[in-house]
Amino acid sequence: MTSSANQPSATRSDATRSDATSADFAAAAQNCDREPIHIPGSIQPHGFLLVLDEHSLDVLQASENVATWLGLAVDEVVGSSLHRLLIDCASLAARLKALPVDEQHPFHVGDVRFNRGVRAEKPIAMMVHRHDGVLIAEFEPTSDPLAAYGTLYPLVRAFIGQLQDARTIDELCQRAALEVKRMTGFGRVKAYRFDPEGNGLVNAEIADPGYPSYLGLCFPATDIPQQARRLYCANRIRVIEDANYQPSPLEPANNPRTQARLDLSFAALRSVSPVHLQYMRNMGTMASMSISIVVRGELWGLISCHHDSPRPVGFQTRTACELLGSVLSLQIETREAQAGAEHMLNLRHQIVQMLSAMADRDSVREGLLALPETFVGFAGAVGGAVVSESRCELVGQTPPAVEVDALIQWLAEHQPGAEVFASDNVGRDIPQLPSLAEHIGGVLAVAISEIHSHYLIWFKSEKTRTVQWAGRPEKTIAESGALSPRHSFALWQENVSGYSTPWHPLEVEGVAELRTATLGIVLRKAEEMAQMASDLKKSNKELEAFSYSVSHDLRAPLRHIAGYAELLSDMEAEKLSERGVRFLEHIGESARFAGTLVDNLLSFSQMGRAALRLSDVDLGALVDAIRNEMLPDYEGRDLEWQVAPLPVVYADAAFIHLALRNLLSNAIKYTRTREHAKIEINARQTATEVIVSIRDNGVGFDMEYAGKLFGVFQRLHRMEEFEGTGIGLASVRRILERHDGRVWADSALDKGATFFFALPKHLD
Amino acid sequence: MLKPIVLVEDNPHDLELTLVALERSQLANEVIVLRDGAEALDYLLRQGAYGNRVEGNPAVMLLDLKLPKVDGLEVLKIVRESAELRSIPVVMLTSSREEPDLQRAYELGVNAYVVKPVEFKEFVAAISDLGVFWAVLNEPPPGSLRLQKRPGS
Repeated sequence: MTSSANQPSATRSDATRSDATSADFAAAAQNCDREPIHIPGSIQPHGFLLVLDEHSLDVLQASENVATWLGLAVDEVVGSSLHRLLIDCASLAARLKALPVDEQHPFHVGDVRFNRGVRAEKPIAMMVHRHDGVLIAEFEPTSDPLAAYGTLYPLVRAFIGQLQDARTIDELCQRAALEVKRMTGFGRVKAYRFDPEGNGLVNAEIADPGYPSYLGLCFPATDIPQQARRLYCANRIRVIEDANYQPSPLEPANNPRTQARLDLSFAALRSVSPVHLQYMRNMGTMASMSISIVVRGELWGLISCHHDSPRPVGFQTRTACELLGSVLSLQIETREAQAGAEHMLNLRHQIVQMLSAMADRDSVREGLLALPETFVGFAGAVGGAVVSESRCELVGQTPPAVEVDALIQWLAEHQPGAEVFASDNVGRDIPQLPSLAEHIGGVLAVAISEIHSHYLIWFKSEKTRTVQWAGRPEKTIAESGALSPRHSFALWQENVSGYSTPWHPLEVEGVAELRTATLGIVLRKAEEMAQMASDLKKSNKELEAFSYSVSHDLRAPLRHIAGYAELLSDMEAEKLSERGVRFLEHIGESARFAGTLVDNLLSFSQMGRAALRLSDVDLGALVDAIRNEMLPDYEGRDLEWQVAPLPVVYADAAFIHLALRNLLSNAIKYTRTREHAKIEINARQTATEVIVSIRDNGVGFDMEYAGKLFGVFQRLHRMEEFEGTGIGLASVRRILERHDGRVWADSALDKGATFFFALPKHLD
Repeated sequence: MLKPIVLVEDNPHDLELTLVALERSQLANEVIVLRDGAEALDYLLRQGAYGNRVEGNPAVMLLDLKLPKVDGLEVLKIVRESAELRSIPVVMLTSSREEPDLQRAYELGVNAYVVKPVEFKEFVAAISDLGVFWAVLNEPPPGSLRLQKRPGS
């Protein structure tokens, strides 16, 4: 964006809005926000006001200008009663009774006539509303009811009829502005809508020649203090007929019912803040009217009418404008809801596409990566990232992977538990990662796992945008600490950098929906896994029962074979040949071996079933015991033991004994062919584990078969070299797995072997 | 007259091998063979086919854990619950040490158990030891005769 000499420009970072600091302005703006504008204690003098007791119609308070309007002194009126002041008050009283109880807004009960004073016998319009425990009556000059029927109603009807033709909301506002201008004759009527910060952007305008145009300009949020916004929501129309009016105070100052200032929130004549009158005069506006556009209960925008000279607006015109404002509000609400629904429908359509892609591939990650354009485009982003446990996949225009990793870290640390994180200015919102802002402007992230740091992230690029302010914000702070409004409303450009386009609320909602659906898939997968685990457990149990019963039933015939073979050789050996005797020996041996196999299998299956009985186990003592136990196996051999001091572990003593025994027995067995055998036992501790190693200088094994080493019935040596059932190491692994530990080995053929096992230090 | 040894075993091979083992242990006691739990109860309670047998409890009962009709544990339970039979020493014969029912047998008050070894020599030794201990050495329950260990055994 360019800025010319007569269009001063600044960037937000270097612009100082005035000599005062921003903190001073914030304080002054807060003062402004606190000004009690609903209880000004006075009214605008283009009518007068009486505060009445609803039952007696006694006058409790009156505006001082009754003197000018009626020619009656205030103390003549206050304390009197409408019955004494009005002609035919009885019919008025009857009409007041018919006033709807819940009506808060001024209601034209009719024209009345005072029976004395300068306006005696002349009709004057009376509007009443109940508020603050009293009946507030406002009196204004009458207007011709025929004029209302003749001009106002047709105008409103024509406007309502045309609304359907307007294609956009801005067009709706333009038509409304035109209609209001026709009805009121104000010199300039503009509409503006508020952005989320409360700045008002002029989106429609119609102005007579000579009025400066504000179309497309932005009025800062501070122009309308908070309590004024609330009042705009409650009371949808406000008129200032003359910016130079002299307010007429109420007499007495306090509402006698509440002993406090009368609440004039709904009074048409309510006097406004002097700051606002100054603002009007600075703008060259002598008369103004505002009609609120309220959408879903919030102040969406205003129709603002200005005139360069004082201008009356009769109550019938006001009522028609109010009606028009309500119709416009409803119409905008409908349009926005419709646009929102269409947008949401479109988003849902894309969500469904992504979900079905995830379902097809049974993977959140792969599903999203299969539809990169949908994934990125659905959030209106330029790039995205799918972050799972081990990897981070980038799609489209994103910061480099390291930056994304840092962002994930940041999200986990600074937004724990947050479902959706959205920022349209990462420089401002993520100050810990300054380099992120060099690549992007906005980030939208959702966590798709309750446990892991799995995220879906979208990125938007930074866009410097130019705001066309209606006047350089130069409110100055007066001695009193109150804001004094700026004097120029001419275009003042400001470049705002660091921002991306904002994330549309519906896109954020869509992302949240995607998250929920994705969590559903993840959850379903987890459930399937749990189901699978439980099925597996069941079939494992069945398998164990089966293997137990097979082993059990196998044992009996083996026992019989061994028994009979032995009996045969005992009793009939002399009848057999030498070969026959040898065969018989083989039969016995084989049966016995098969018996051992079955016994080992049984104990292996037992290991999977038996509950762990955990206690402190002194590994050093255990090794000593096993060495003694196995002495017959290595007696007479040259076997050197090098046993380092071993720790005490928390484990099942019997199981650990069996595991160590298997490992030591292997070390003894496979060093059998060594002239000088050596077995070293060491232990070391890490933060979480105790690791024990058993190293021998035996025949070792080829690491190529290391994967088979711990399987059931896996043997790496021929039977005649080294006997064994192939269950020992499988048992070792099962025992360690039962302890949540690990076992592994390292070796080279003929170079000895080292077996390691690790036990967790804290076993639950 | 020595009290008999009762052997309850359904498997014919186990039966034969156990008998050989008992034979080799040279116990003089008569061995009464019963083939299932129901028959064992008939004998012990002197009912059915054994309604007319001579009164008196066996010196020891070698009881297989797994039996047809009424299994070993049930027989043991009935024996322990009966005032007359309670004092009979019962040795459980099992196929394996991993037998899950073993624990139950102890709870029911078994006196000993023997895992039938695959090695026949061991089996002979085990049966022999048992026979000698329960049929010969063990202090007999009150009311039964104190037995002398026969020379040469």
